[in-house]
Amino acid sequence: MRLGLLAAMGVIVVRLFFIQIVQHDEWVEKAAAQQTLSNVLPAKRGEIYMMDGSEPVAVVMNTTVYTVIVDPMLANDEMAEKELTEILGDKRTAEWSDVFADRTRRYYIVGKNVERKAAEKIAELDMTGVWLQSNTKRVYPEGELAAGVLGFVNADGVGQYGIEGAMNEELSGTDGLMKTVKDINNVALSIGDDNIKIPAQNGENVVLTIDKTLQYNVEKILEKKSGELGFKNMSAVVMDPNTGKVLAMANYPSYDPGNYGNVESAAAYVNHVVEDPFEPASVCKTFTFAAATELGVMTADKTFTNYGEVTIDGWPIRNAEQGANLLGTQTMQTAFNYSLNTGSTQALRWMGGSETEITDAAREKLYDYYYNHFGLGHYTGIELYESPGYLVEPHADMYGLASLYANMTFGQNMQATMIQVASAISSVVNGGKYYTPTIVAGKMVNGEFIAEEKREASRQTISEETSAAMRQMLYNTRSMWRINGTDPEGYYVGGKTGTAQVIKNGAYSMDETQATYVGVGGTEGELPQYVIMVRVWEEGKLAGGQEHALPVFNELKNYVQNYLRVQPKVKEAE
Amino acid sequence: MRPQTYVSKRSAATSTGTWSRNFNTVRHTQKNLGPIAYAGMIGAIVLMFGLIYVSQSTRATGYDYELSAIESEISELTAKKEDLAVEKARLTSIAASENSEVASSMETASASGYVAE
Repeated sequence: MRLGLLAAMGVIVVRLFFIQIVQHDEWVEKAAAQQTLSNVLPAKRGEIYMMDGSEPVAVVMNTTVYTVIVDPMLANDEMAEKELTEILGDKRTAEWSDVFADRTRRYYIVGKNVERKAAEKIAELDMTGVWLQSNTKRVYPEGELAAGVLGFVNADGVGQYGIEGAMNEELSGTDGLMKTVKDINNVALSIGDDNIKIPAQNGENVVLTIDKTLQYNVEKILEKKSGELGFKNMSAVVMDPNTGKVLAMANYPSYDPGNYGNVESAAAYVNHVVEDPFEPASVCKTFTFAAATELGVMTADKTFTNYGEVTIDGWPIRNAEQGANLLGTQTMQTAFNYSLNTGSTQALRWMGGSETEITDAAREKLYDYYYNHFGLGHYTGIELYESPGYLVEPHADMYGLASLYANMTFGQNMQATMIQVASAISSVVNGGKYYTPTIVAGKMVNGEFIAEEKREASRQTISEETSAAMRQMLYNTRSMWRINGTDPEGYYVGGKTGTAQVIKNGAYSMDETQATYVGVGGTEGELPQYVIMVRVWEEGKLAGGQEHALPVFNELKNYVQNYLRVQPKVKEAE
Repeated sequence: MRPQTYVSKRSAATSTGTWSRNFNTVRHTQKNLGPIAYAGMIGAIVLMFGLIYVSQSTRATGYDYELSAIESEISELTAKKEDLAVEKARLTSIAASENSEVASSMETASASGYVAE
């Protein structure tokens, strides 16, 4: 008896020794797993706002949606089918016969993105083997508006394209953590020494400089003009040249970021204003002429001899306009008006101190102005994904640099984005101040708009005198080409067309061109208040700056001028 | 006259070792508690502290339940608020406003002052 008791106690002691000493860590871990509630506290993704006049309004928001899950082993198939089919409607993701085909499965998703009201109905049914899991979904209440600017959030919650992608880190915030002792009902208890609660840091609410109404109407105009002119693709950007703020950035066609999967290809997501470098064509003559004027080698009245074409490095450079009245001695203003490539080539020669040759110095100076002053061919610094474009360096190891640089004077043999060109034009007309383009106006903090600090120009591209001269050249060019007269009295509107050949299979195509127009406007006698750049194109089609981009600009200009309440200059009574 | 010698009570008491007038006659004796009484007392104290701990823990757990319920309610109401904000944004979106009955009953303003294309 006594021995038996001793033996039993010995067994217990040995067992306790194993549990408490030898297997100590293992049992502590098991206990912790049972008693500890460890939850990631998800950070709320920041909302995105646009300006509605002077007030920010949310255009990208979050909502709670539910995933409906069925446990085929526990759920009643007839009841599930009867009750859930109607409630789930088009949110149902599975056929009931499939759900209950294998009763050993414990987890089958039968509905996704189910909204609150439907989820509440399901919860009220209190069905065995049916439960709900809440998720956050991005919502775009304005539909397709500014989709290229906004981007979207993929199924993993990661921002893609647009501001969602470029500012994903700021918008995402940082998840928090809660680790506490729990009871049998999974309720977190405050007792315990190792409880941790690190609150989630919600993402920033970003306010864009984009004006919602302006954006909407710019998109509507592009859509309308696409139909009228018969070109599938159009892009436009509207900027404030005195701050670098982007007021509208539109691409047609667009897509619905809430249903981003419903596109034919990922090309639909591209924001052509910032991500798609192209040859901007003759709008670049503005930069060539501005550089030549700034260097003191050209004025609008200076003359050159136009032969209709010029051969450089064995390559002919021809003018699109070959009228007899344009041959012979012509002013640089005429060269600008009729977009004479021979004129811009001559400006390049003058920049190098020669009448007949494109010297090394000429190339260096053009490159310096294009790249360093006007910011063509490299990132602008806007808060979006952007492509840098490309400029061939003046001493690149290649044949035909002189010809290549002659082409660059009228925006060919180079790659730049619309935002680069629009920002550069802004500096040409605003007195020579280059503002880094921006699309972020500030943040919303606790419902209050905190605006970004006042912006300073990042560099001086040209002098105020050259800027004034270029404003006049742009005005003269637009005025000359206006059919039925000029723009309304009291307003200043200037602009330049561009028609670019497109490289196909390594060579310039003869049956595809892209059209551009850059225009600026405001009150007569004052600095311009807006810059608009338009691009029109379609694969396999010939688009012309005068015929296709200009009409789009005109309609945009009429709307923008009205919307921004640009005042005409008041003439004093005589 | 008979000479008088003064003897203090203290010296009288100590010198003679006898009980004197004005001395307490109570005898002080030390009584020790037994081991059972000790165990009982310690047990009672432990029990008392245990009860206090349990009652406080129960109260804390009660608060935890209350907190959990309030937090659930907050998140529920926050989600509802977000849903309503989304609904409001949808209803006030430009496209919704443009397609509204009010907008459709309005006349289109004609632009003036611009050059016709």
